[in-house]
Amino acid sequence: MAIASRRLEGWSVRWYRSLLLFYPPEFRAAYGRELCLVFVDRCREQASWAGLAAVWLGAVAGLALAAPVEHYHMLAQDLRYAWRMLCKSPLVAVVTVTVLALGIGATTVAFSVANGLLLRPLPYPDPERLVAVDEAAPQRNEPSLGVAFPNYLDLRARNSVLAELAVYDSDRATLAGSGEAVRLPAGEVSAGLFQVLGVRPRLGRVFQPEEDLPHGPAAVLLGEGLWRERFGADPSLLGRAIVVNGVSRTVVGVMPMGFHFPDQAEIWLPLRLDAKLSPRTDHYLQGIGRLAPGTTVERADRQLKSIMRQIAREDPVSFQGQTVNVLPFRLQLTSSSRAAVLTLLGAVLCVLLVACANITNLLLVQATERAREIAVRSALGASRGRLVRQLLIESLLLGGLGAATGMVLALVGTPLLLALIPEELPRWLHFEPDARVLCFTAGVSLLTSLLVSLAPAHLCSRLSLTETLKEGGRGGTAGRRGERIRRALVVGEVALSLALLIGAGLMARSFLALHQAPLGFDSRHVLTLRVWAPRVKYDSKEKARALVRREREEVASLPGVISVAATISGIPLADAWGRSLTVEGRRPLSLREAPMINHVVATAGYFRTLGIPLVAGRDFTETDGASPLVTIVDQDLARRYWPHASPLGRRVRYGPPEANEPWHTIVGVAGTVRNQTLISPERPSVYLPHGEIAQPSVSLILRTAGDPGRLAAAVRRRLAEVDRDLAVSEVLPLEQVVGRSIWQPRFFTVLFVVFAALALVLAAVGLYGVMWYAVSRRRRELGLRAALGAGAGDLRGLVLGQALRLSIAGSALGCVLALAFTRLLASQLHGVQPTDPATYVWMAALLLAVAVAASAAPASQAVRSDPMDALREE
Amino acid sequence: MPTERADPRPEDFLPLHRDTFQILVALADRDRHGYSILRDVEARTAGAVRLSPSTLYASIRRLLENGLIAELAERPDPEHDDERRRYYRLTPLGRGVAMAEALRLDRLLADARASGLLPEPR
Repeated sequence: MAIASRRLEGWSVRWYRSLLLFYPPEFRAAYGRELCLVFVDRCREQASWAGLAAVWLGAVAGLALAAPVEHYHMLAQDLRYAWRMLCKSPLVAVVTVTVLALGIGATTVAFSVANGLLLRPLPYPDPERLVAVDEAAPQRNEPSLGVAFPNYLDLRARNSVLAELAVYDSDRATLAGSGEAVRLPAGEVSAGLFQVLGVRPRLGRVFQPEEDLPHGPAAVLLGEGLWRERFGADPSLLGRAIVVNGVSRTVVGVMPMGFHFPDQAEIWLPLRLDAKLSPRTDHYLQGIGRLAPGTTVERADRQLKSIMRQIAREDPVSFQGQTVNVLPFRLQLTSSSRAAVLTLLGAVLCVLLVACANITNLLLVQATERAREIAVRSALGASRGRLVRQLLIESLLLGGLGAATGMVLALVGTPLLLALIPEELPRWLHFEPDARVLCFTAGVSLLTSLLVSLAPAHLCSRLSLTETLKEGGRGGTAGRRGERIRRALVVGEVALSLALLIGAGLMARSFLALHQAPLGFDSRHVLTLRVWAPRVKYDSKEKARALVRREREEVASLPGVISVAATISGIPLADAWGRSLTVEGRRPLSLREAPMINHVVATAGYFRTLGIPLVAGRDFTETDGASPLVTIVDQDLARRYWPHASPLGRRVRYGPPEANEPWHTIVGVAGTVRNQTLISPERPSVYLPHGEIAQPSVSLILRTAGDPGRLAAAVRRRLAEVDRDLAVSEVLPLEQVVGRSIWQPRFFTVLFVVFAALALVLAAVGLYGVMWYAVSRRRRELGLRAALGAGAGDLRGLVLGQALRLSIAGSALGCVLALAFTRLLASQLHGVQPTDPATYVWMAALLLAVAVAASAAPASQAVRSDPMDALREE
Repeated sequence: MPTERADPRPEDFLPLHRDTFQILVALADRDRHGYSILRDVEARTAGAVRLSPSTLYASIRRLLENGLIAELAERPDPEHDDERRRYYRLTPLGRGVAMAEALRLDRLLADARASGLLPEPR
């Protein structure tokens, strides 16, 4: 080297050697020294600093190009080797991939549900600034009342924390005109809603404040889908009038495709409410606001609560002791299913852990079997790191294959799952896998692969070379060490499966309790439907009464119809209308104290059609409705107020106590009916004759001789003959209505049961594997025992005893786990305690039975051990 | 190994990467160690091809794996002998591959001359 000193040379080599660390260790071991020698030669021949710099530059560039290639090469080699290993024992590979796919698939499905419900951002700008505003009466156990219109006006006018506050109601609207009148999902909204959501129209404009006034110009907004489908995307529709709900309204704008709020809305109308005519006690609107810049949800909550207290001081008479809550909008939308979704995620995690334990077991067995191969590779110079990496890559390959299959299972499974949800979901809910789900699945698969390779890798890295080779590959040390881990894993699997089984058992019992709860009515052979009639056409009580009578007569004359009744808010489990109650002769209560009752308007024949027993008094007649006013109450209410006397002839009054509504005389007592929900306790129900509250739009209830669904078309035709402007919607058998009301418990129960069954199968497979392997390892010992006189029963008992010991240990642990975790289920359970002993005992028994069944085959194998074989081998 | 193929033919490796071809050519006349290969390639190409040590040994690793060259146990180059260095030799397959590549290039050259793209050699 012409210019560089020895020191410089030493320095260069040191640096170059440290650069070589970027190569895979194997390459470094093979060529590191040579590379350094060539590098030094290169440096020595340089005559200038520039030349030396060029050599360095070339070295670094060459390394940057070559190192990744070498890494890739090594990886490809390892993958090829791993693939060959998998092909060598295809059964293990297939079982592992299947188990992984089931675990990962189930996890992905559950996560897709959680993602759709809880994580996916709402499709509006700055969705995290959207808040729900909702009144609540905590002392009456009403956590969500809705918002009363006058309260909304005050809250909106007085707050400084919301950029905008709006109210809306989810409804249906009838669009008449060309062709048959159609009922469409609609939103009745205050003018500011679109500003709150931050959505601009596709055409035209949104509502202006004056269009939201009681006597303002009648306007309507259409969804783009509706505009294209029904009006051929005609841009000249803007400014033209269409008839919605019997009223001519001007189309002012078209909302963009994909915008549906609330729920499924395709058409929007301004609320146009009159504050003077809307009582503060009438909570039926939903509130939504957008936080002002720099405000937090907590601050908004505090300020609105204080405004509510102000309102209460100003108007104490109509105050019901309620408060107002501000919470993130997303939270309110998903509050009902949040706990269930999180429980589900927990359950699916258990399934995944069981799957992992299973695969670890399998890989441990395989690693033990491969102890000799690994020892030989190690003797031939493969480093411990290399061997561990090889095992890791093998499990990563399995993990990758499992993840891909699991993803396919999830893609197929999610729609099947969603088919269990009968309710039309809000349009913003999507459960298709997105980038987040893909990342989650990839992460879970990676973690799973690492997790399942830990124990085998640990086992191999501690393998004693000489001992293994001496033992002739029987994997003695590895076998013994592996045995302990395997047993612990099986105990864990059994425990997790039992915990899941108990959870599923509790959910199933709870669901059955709901399903078999006495409804108070007979839902079989009943068809329900809603009939909307334009108010402008039927603008008097006489006309409304005549229309409803005609509808009933026409439908009743159809063959197969036994009886027909009309009702307002009287389809059980579909409608509810809460009002307060005042009883004559009792101390008048303030609105705050007055009990809430469920208010149903019905025609004569309502009770007969629904199969509700009349326990005292009489049914309504066609002439009820005029003075004296009459009412029917249910047994529950009768028992509360007149426990020892007949309620017949007593008088009650409905609505706010100070409103002085007329007194009604009780003429009948009906059986108690589940009217609102099967899940929570009911308010008592009262019935008023349709003759009194004569509105033209009603629901019809038909008792039929055969399948009620078959009558749907005939009923529609007959009603169209009555009046072409009638819009018929939601034609459903009552059984379906009842089923819909408990779709959530059913959905989560089905999922839980599926996951628990999966875990049970996996645990059984795991136990079978461990017992089978234990028996094959103890073949000589068992043969010797047979030779020494042990009978078939003894050998079978030996194996079954071992299996039972593991299962009982697992079951005990599982019961403890279940006691700890089923408390989280408490909010989902109805009519059964989380600690229900019967469920625990039955599920443990089921698990032990499955455990015995799973070890039956290995036990038979033990019995077949040939004493001669054993003696020969010895 | 289940999928072991019959012996590979020289044509299976064509076309060769420029660096690979140069290394094979460098080993055609005698066995060499890594640095000697570098020097030979540089000298023959008048400095046009300068291999970095990394590129050289990555190529050597591939050539060894494919059986085109072999590592020698003895020291064939007493003049520049350095007992720390590893020496490489062309295997018959490697020689076949280098010849096949040279022929391929020769044919390309002939084509270019026949079409008048290049002048005939004097």
